[in-house]
Amino acid sequence: MVTQYGIKYAVNLITAHFGDLVAKVCECLLRKGPLTLQAIVRSTELTSSQVKNSLLVLIQHNCVQAFILDQTGEHGDGAKQSTQYIALFDNIIQRWRFPKFLTMVSKKLDKQCAELLEGLLQHGRLSLKQMFDRAKSGDDVVQEAFVKLLNAHFIERCPASEPVLTNPTKEEEAARKRAAKSGKILEVQETLEQRVVEAAMPTEALRFLFATETEPTADGGKDKSNSSSVTPGEKRKHDALESEAECGATDEQVVLWRANFDEFIWCLRHKACIENVRARFDDGAVIVFGAMLEATRSAEKKVKTENSVPLSLSSIYEEVIKSEEGRNITFDRVRASLVQLSCPPFVKAANESYSVDFKKIIELAQNEEVESIVLKRYGRDAYRMFRLLSNSGHLLETDKVADATFVEKKETPIILYKLWKDDYLQLEKLQIGVKQIPFQLWKVNKNTLKVHVLDEMFHAAFNLSQRVAFELEQEKELSNVLQDKRVNRLRKRLLLESSQMKLDDAIMLFHDF
Amino acid sequence: MHHAISFSYRMRCYSHHSCEDCESEQQRYQRYSRIGTSSTFEEIVISKGPAVKRMNAKRKRPDTISDSVTEQERIVHEVIRSKQDMGISQQDMKREINLHSNLIAKCIKSLVSKNLIKEVKNIHSRRQKHYMSAEFEPSNEITGGAWYVEGSLDKEYINVLKEQCWRKIYGLKVATLEGIADAIKRSNVSQIELSKQQVEEIVKALVLDNEVMEVRSTGTGEFASIPVGKACYKCAGKRGYGGEPKLGALASIPCGVCPQISRCTPDGIISPITCEYYKKWLEF
Repeated sequence: MVTQYGIKYAVNLITAHFGDLVAKVCECLLRKGPLTLQAIVRSTELTSSQVKNSLLVLIQHNCVQAFILDQTGEHGDGAKQSTQYIALFDNIIQRWRFPKFLTMVSKKLDKQCAELLEGLLQHGRLSLKQMFDRAKSGDDVVQEAFVKLLNAHFIERCPASEPVLTNPTKEEEAARKRAAKSGKILEVQETLEQRVVEAAMPTEALRFLFATETEPTADGGKDKSNSSSVTPGEKRKHDALESEAECGATDEQVVLWRANFDEFIWCLRHKACIENVRARFDDGAVIVFGAMLEATRSAEKKVKTENSVPLSLSSIYEEVIKSEEGRNITFDRVRASLVQLSCPPFVKAANESYSVDFKKIIELAQNEEVESIVLKRYGRDAYRMFRLLSNSGHLLETDKVADATFVEKKETPIILYKLWKDDYLQLEKLQIGVKQIPFQLWKVNKNTLKVHVLDEMFHAAFNLSQRVAFELEQEKELSNVLQDKRVNRLRKRLLLESSQMKLDDAIMLFHDF
Repeated sequence: MHHAISFSYRMRCYSHHSCEDCESEQQRYQRYSRIGTSSTFEEIVISKGPAVKRMNAKRKRPDTISDSVTEQERIVHEVIRSKQDMGISQQDMKREINLHSNLIAKCIKSLVSKNLIKEVKNIHSRRQKHYMSAEFEPSNEITGGAWYVEGSLDKEYINVLKEQCWRKIYGLKVATLEGIADAIKRSNVSQIELSKQQVEEIVKALVLDNEVMEVRSTGTGEFASIPVGKACYKCAGKRGYGGEPKLGALASIPCGVCPQISRCTPDGIISPITCEYYKKWLEF
């Protein structure tokens, strides 16, 4: 779901990385949905050349995807094909997480892999030859790091430059009509974004394939389509490479590679789940849980997997004792840890098998985040009321809320109104009898609340980045001040930046996990 | 000597909408004139249209009123008594009785002084005075139940009970409601014996405070002595009683707790650059 402040946050990122022109084009696409080149020119009032260059930058850095919409006429007219461009909001906000990705690769693999990845993140996409040219170390070291990254799925082949999309399905049409009525055009765009991304992605077999023999480029090898996915400078190299290919050199070098954001998010999701377990259970349970994730990772088909594949107790035990910290754990201890992990139900048991309930873990973490906001912003009485309504899942009358939460009957509606005014609760009135005062019924709608909280998080993230920029400006101006003031400035920046990191973890919890 | 009370025949008794059933004024006067002429156990007959009440003057029974009560007071008392253990406020009485509010107030004062009615606290309207006939005890709906004292929530008592319940659960590791209630009873924490429902209310409040979590017994491990599927309670998390829950990411920065977040914009009066909360947060 792309919220209003999500767009501002994304545009702010693009502005910081690529400047105002590119950000203007990006904002146009984020707000208006997919557009043709001409439509972008009209909307942004930039020149055609400015828009083209901005699009090239955005495509190079995987922030925009071109696609061809095949619109077959309703009355048997000829098919109309037009190239449109769609902003990839999910990829744009990944840009903030590059330091996290690099840290992950440094820890899981090695320094060379991190350096190679850094190049890919800086340039958006590179061919293998470009990676060799850029690296300080020899080609074989680079190739070895490349293979490691590929085997770990941290990098992938770039998608097709202009996949063809057929007419929207009936469901999409109905959703578009409903969205148009309620003004929620952003929801419809997300469905289209997913379709475009899926259509552009190479097949699973090809996505992580590194063949040493000659092979076509990911998009079919047409020069015209290649040109939309490389910058002008790269096109010259590409042409040079093609001519080399004609002389017998490998075509592998014209395949473009990029960071696979899905894999990084997957790893971060697992990490977040482990941290949640660590906060609630002992070390033994954490080791058992980690072992279950390790054992089932390869069977997970998508990032937002709800449940892991079931494992038997003996499989879990075998996995546990593989690790250094789990070496001395007994079979009975593993069994006891699994019982522990069943309440709250992070692990479900069925037919002597155990599976991780990712959905439950993420849901509980999201609830804790929202409840923390309610506690800090509105106080303990409001916290109890919110938890009551959130746990019950249905409408409750004011007096019932007062009784269950031990709050004075007169104070209860005041607190509930505050929560309702700030969109944390829903209110319904029930009139019984003409002269009676209507009953007030309250409820937490988790779906709408999640979107609202996510927007607040984007707003806060945007504010933090504004403040960081402001503090940096101040630092420059006060470059000659006393040492202790500079130390204070540094402390401020550290606090702001660590808060940004922590808030980004929460954004991932609500948006990516 | 008893004086016959002559009163306006035009005043309707409250239980009748017309006075067709009532005696004539003359008949009533004549009846009153006979009062005081009988033996020691005088019978005082008071007309209430067709309904006649007899009261023994020497042995007052709770369902009759004394002869010193005026007709207006009697009407007011009847209205209050009809509300039984719910009572009625002075304001609501005015809607039901066609008497001037000053007269109602005077009747109430008199009835209170005669111990026929009493003032009680109503938690729903603490500012208004609420009255009840003397023979009734106020219902939980107006007193608030066991948790209210003088119309206010007894927060101190509730907090003591909550902490004690938590300690019992902590000691038992996993506890059912019955187990907690037993433990409380044995330790004499409360001078008043708590019902199972009251213990449940306290434990559920602990769940809402995130001090305790409700789980279902699996019948194995730590739940071995508890029937499968039965609701039981465990202490939540690793922190002790009263510890703050983990601070969330958004709640740990000024924007997360700011009541003005919806009005904050980059170029507005409220902005991250000019924000006072940020300024205080970044002060070292």
